[in-house]
Amino acid sequence: MRIKSGIWGVAAALLLAGCKAGGDYQGMEYAPNMYHSVAYEPLTQITDENYGVWVNSLDNGRGEYYNTNKFNPFGMNMRLPAPNTVRRTDNGWLPYRGANDTTGLRLANRLVNPLQETPALLEQGKLLYDINCKHCHGAKGAGDGKVADKYPGVANLTGDAIKGVTEGHIFHVITYGKGLMGAHGSQVSEEDRWKIARYVKQLQKN
Amino acid sequence: MRHLACRFVRFRKKADISKRATMKKRLSRPVTILTFALILLFNLSSFAQTIPTEPEAISAGEALFNGNCKSCHRVKQKLVGPALAGVEDRAPSVKWIIDWVRNPAKVIASGDDYAVKIYEEYNKSQMTAFTSYTDEQILSILAYVKADAAKVDQPKGDNGGEKPETPGVPTGYLNAILIGLVVILVLLLIILGLIINALKKYLDQRDLSEEDKEVVHSKYTINSFVKSSGFIFIVIFLVASVTFKNVIDGLYTIGIQQNYQPRQPIAFSHKIHAGEYEIECRYCHTGALKGKQANIPSANICMNCHSQIREGTNTGTTEISKIYAAIGYDPATGSYTGKQKPIEWVRIHNLPDLAYFNHAQHNNVGGIQCQTCHGPIEEMDVVKQYSLLTMGWCIDCHRKTDVNTKGNEYYDKLLELHNSKKSLKVEDIGGLECAKCHY
Repeated sequence: MRIKSGIWGVAAALLLAGCKAGGDYQGMEYAPNMYHSVAYEPLTQITDENYGVWVNSLDNGRGEYYNTNKFNPFGMNMRLPAPNTVRRTDNGWLPYRGANDTTGLRLANRLVNPLQETPALLEQGKLLYDINCKHCHGAKGAGDGKVADKYPGVANLTGDAIKGVTEGHIFHVITYGKGLMGAHGSQVSEEDRWKIARYVKQLQKN
Repeated sequence: MRHLACRFVRFRKKADISKRATMKKRLSRPVTILTFALILLFNLSSFAQTIPTEPEAISAGEALFNGNCKSCHRVKQKLVGPALAGVEDRAPSVKWIIDWVRNPAKVIASGDDYAVKIYEEYNKSQMTAFTSYTDEQILSILAYVKADAAKVDQPKGDNGGEKPETPGVPTGYLNAILIGLVVILVLLLIILGLIINALKKYLDQRDLSEEDKEVVHSKYTINSFVKSSGFIFIVIFLVASVTFKNVIDGLYTIGIQQNYQPRQPIAFSHKIHAGEYEIECRYCHTGALKGKQANIPSANICMNCHSQIREGTNTGTTEISKIYAAIGYDPATGSYTGKQKPIEWVRIHNLPDLAYFNHAQHNNVGGIQCQTCHGPIEEMDVVKQYSLLTMGWCIDCHRKTDVNTKGNEYYDKLLELHNSKKSLKVEDIGGLECAKCHY
């Protein structure tokens, strides 16, 4: 009797050891339908139609975990906004429409930063600069970030060539890139670009 | 120049009367003027167009070069612009270089052959104009370039071959000590065995009672040891407790994905990007500061660097070419083909639908570091789920963590109300309310 229960115990331990997640194995799920969205989950895609058949409560002949929007390209659950969609912003700004060419850059030189200068603005500018610019342009803007060791053509923002540029110029260059710098318009919002521009001007003064 | 020389000559003549007398004898006036003019011209031009060799000029040039030129030029390596070594021999003249640095557009527009050739060679991208530079500054940069170009490359083996000394005892010593200890223990065992034998022999020679003899020659066999109740108890106790612990541990792992570490379609290493190159997490995960999801970066963010960096540290071109395939980039021509295909990243962190979590609230408002929940991401080649992500884990943190009230007007009133307490925990502002996360 004692031996029998012992064997059961060892078997249970071995069995349960298999529930643990690690490597490619996600681990055993308890109440799995809570982890699998019935609605289209934007950052998940399950293309296997039979996945989760054993918990199906929907009577649609598919696995309950199947999560693919077959009407979208590649069955993705997210899709790009329709062309020419304008994002609604807190301050009601429309997207920057300066052209990505030398004329656009020349016109951008005349743009004035619409944000009022406050200590908080500079603080936010520093945070955004540290997130988006520091790894190439360096903490002080000297073009000595870690990535600049490997990436060619990182500009020294405090150098004579760039020291005199306007905030509008900086805004334009963040949006579209310049030289070997990539365009950052998709990942840094207009407002954040102006904050960074102001902070860069502050860096150049010091 | 001639006019200047004239005045200079006149002045000298007035000042030095005796010289004037001798000169008048030997040289006629126009010749004198011409000679002085030539000497002056030669002196001036040599001042303007000779690259200095003084160490001060070279160090001044180095500072200027590092501050302003280095982003596009290296001395011996072509970067965005040409390698600068030997530029003073290549270019038409030193004066040409000075003009070019001050205003390249003007030199190109003047139709200068060499300028146009360079302009064409570098895909019609123009060098930035450094209008404020003096001749002296530009010459000092040239001096630095010349001095640096003359330096012979140090063979890399000198520095690369030497291994940095690791602190602590070297492993070789440790092994030797271990082997020594084992040898000593074996010797001790042999000596003890010999002593027992010697003692037995000695006791046998003496007259002993039957009881004492039994003690001396008692038989301890493995069998008798294994069958002893003490041994059986210890073994059963150990097996039972280990089993019990494993069963309980196993039960707790159900529904928990901690340590889930799936292989991703692209072997992206956070250790290289976030660790070695110190790229901020939120440069790529742009949503963490603004929204519910931290977001998986789209391939155009990869291309901000990988349009130029085409070979990886660990995997060469195999993994980076997968980005190119996804975004439809042809590295040979440097153009986009328009044929795009999503990268099917494997999701690691997943909360059940019944729980709401917002990145911006924690990261932006609360000022919680990414690593608090995601662990030392900057040391992971392959990312794994570091935290439990259970409700107990959330609650635990909400009980322990102080609210980040610094510089946030929103909390001023609350702080006043909670003045009696030492610190304001998340718990105190409703961090344990069910409906905070479940609704």
